Amino acid sequence: MARKILIVDDSPISRKMLKSCLPKDDDTEVHEAGDGLAGLEKFKEIGPDITFLDLTMPVMDGAQALEEMKKQNPDAVIIVATADIQVKSIERVMGLGAFLVLKKPPTRESVGDALAKADEFRGRQHGN
Amino acid sequence: MPWRRPTNSGEDSMETELPSISEEEKDTLQEIMNIAFGKAAAELAEVINIFVVLSVPYIKVLKAEDLPEYLRYEVRDFSTISIVEQNFWGKFRGGAFLVFPADAGKALITMLDAEHETTFESGSMEILEKETLMEVGNILIGACVGKITELLGDVVTYSPPTVLVENKPHDILPERLFDPEYTAIVMKTVFRFDERNVSGFLFLVTTQDSMEWIKQSLAEFLEHYE
Amino acid sequence: MNELAQILDSVNLGLVILDTQLRVRYWNRWMETHSGIPAEQLVGSSLFDFFPSLNTPRFQRSCKSVLTFGNFSFFSQKLHHFLFPFRPESSFESRFERMQQSCSMGPLRDEDNAITGLYLTVQDVTELAAYEHRLLEMNMRDGLTGVYNRRFLEKRLEEECARHARYGRGFSVIMFDIDFFKNVNDTYGHLCGDLILKNISGTIASLIRKTDFLARYGGEEFCCLLPETVLASATLLAERFRTTIVEMKHVYQGMEISVTVSLGVAEMTAGLPSFEALLKKADGALYEAKRAGRNRVVVRT
Repeated sequence: MARKILIVDDSPISRKMLKSCLPKDDDTEVHEAGDGLAGLEKFKEIGPDITFLDLTMPVMDGAQALEEMKKQNPDAVIIVATADIQVKSIERVMGLGAFLVLKKPPTRESVGDALAKADEFRGRQHGN
Repeated sequence: MPWRRPTNSGEDSMETELPSISEEEKDTLQEIMNIAFGKAAAELAEVINIFVVLSVPYIKVLKAEDLPEYLRYEVRDFSTISIVEQNFWGKFRGGAFLVFPADAGKALITMLDAEHETTFESGSMEILEKETLMEVGNILIGACVGKITELLGDVVTYSPPTVLVENKPHDILPERLFDPEYTAIVMKTVFRFDERNVSGFLFLVTTQDSMEWIKQSLAEFLEHYE
Repeated sequence: MNELAQILDSVNLGLVILDTQLRVRYWNRWMETHSGIPAEQLVGSSLFDFFPSLNTPRFQRSCKSVLTFGNFSFFSQKLHHFLFPFRPESSFESRFERMQQSCSMGPLRDEDNAITGLYLTVQDVTELAAYEHRLLEMNMRDGLTGVYNRRFLEKRLEEECARHARYGRGFSVIMFDIDFFKNVNDTYGHLCGDLILKNISGTIASLIRKTDFLARYGGEEFCCLLPETVLASATLLAERFRTTIVEMKHVYQGMEISVTVSLGVAEMTAGLPSFEALLKKADGALYEAKRAGRNRVVVRT
């Protein structure tokens, strides 16, 4: 399944960790960005199918980036990756249009699960 | 060129004459702290029923003898401070310092609500303040240290916390904190209890002899993500 | 019984193990002895079934924190006095109705390092606490008369001033001084002087309210701090002090001796910058009383 994935996180290690949890098939294109603003730029440029977004970033934080991305494309599937899973935080990002919240640290299982849900949703979106 | 997290103190964050920690190790430790503190904040909210915000932690490697000066610089804007100190030891060994600006104790008391079982004698406000700082401090430190060690596969023991209430920074930050031969790795985060706008710093200081174990466990942690 | 189990049952320390639901899993011999409850009765039940007074937000928070983060929790005697309401070991320790305890709590883990419960230690620190109290008391009191000493008074004055500055709560002070005390000492000796000091301080102490403070300020000088008292009431009280002392007969080696006092009264006002200024005012009044002939009350408004 060819798809473009964008990972936005200011920690290079975190990006590396997430990448390693993605399924290893050749059809997936992975793009990265190191802060919210760069992430937004990349988002506009490549129009990813799925975006992984960290919340705490400099320049433009995850919540802001999420809002902007949703404005750009209201149907975008954006998965917020965060270690802060307080109910209030989750409610806030879901309210801003996040598709789901992924707990850090990521595992192959949790990422695979999230991707499956995302694919299912996108499938329905395209009128399957 | 690898992207570098901006520093938030006036000086360069890398003391490059200390070869003991590599850039990648520092980044990994940074991410570990990120995750640990995020989880700590979430679980703290459950334990003390208050929404907590923990900022992105900041790591700095220092010579132990530079530590008191660094701490003094960090708290320079506070006229008086209260400190909760607690030591911990396991394979990860060191000390934690929670620094609050003046009046934090009183604000925290109202935060934990006023159901107090203790009977009061004269000087009771002082005692209550001290107790609240100790309790919150103990839980915060336990949460942060606990989560870091959990991620890195260690279990630590804690000493009882000690508290100093409302002193001038110059009076309580000592000249020498650790053996000058030691390297201190400072992990700093700013925490904020949203409802009462109480904020402060948490410093974790670990010593050279924990370094070997830290490097090893960081490597093991990363192995899962190769 | 293996050696560790023997230690746990003979050591002078209370040990309790609770599971994650705070049900009792272990209750050592010390706890049995001091609670009067045998282990078999407790094990399996919630701790709060037997000790409902423990079910406080603070205790719950501590348990939660230990079970969640694996940190330790501490309950010092100074702040909590005790967790378990046991009687003191010694039947003769009258200061405390309950055993004073220093307690701590820590996590228990299984082979996978998951937290499966917590342990609680209970230490009897009654004797230590009593000793500390005695030291604190001695520090606050005058050795001879048993009333408060100057150090304590000044601290209280500072606090009252702070309250006055913050909430506008007024208070007054009476300073009094035994007339011709030097003569008494020279004529009858210091032991007589001491007796008179003790008698007077004891009597005056019984005239004041629980919330008032009598302190020995100097050799023969006393100061009485009266919170929530206006000048008029303080003046009436000062006059009562005077007449009471005049009527007192001190018996020493078969002789009857009487003394009088001079008194100065002042009230805290917004114009006074500190407690020292207030004392100076009262002292000024006292001095006037002396000069005007002694055995009288002078008020400074």
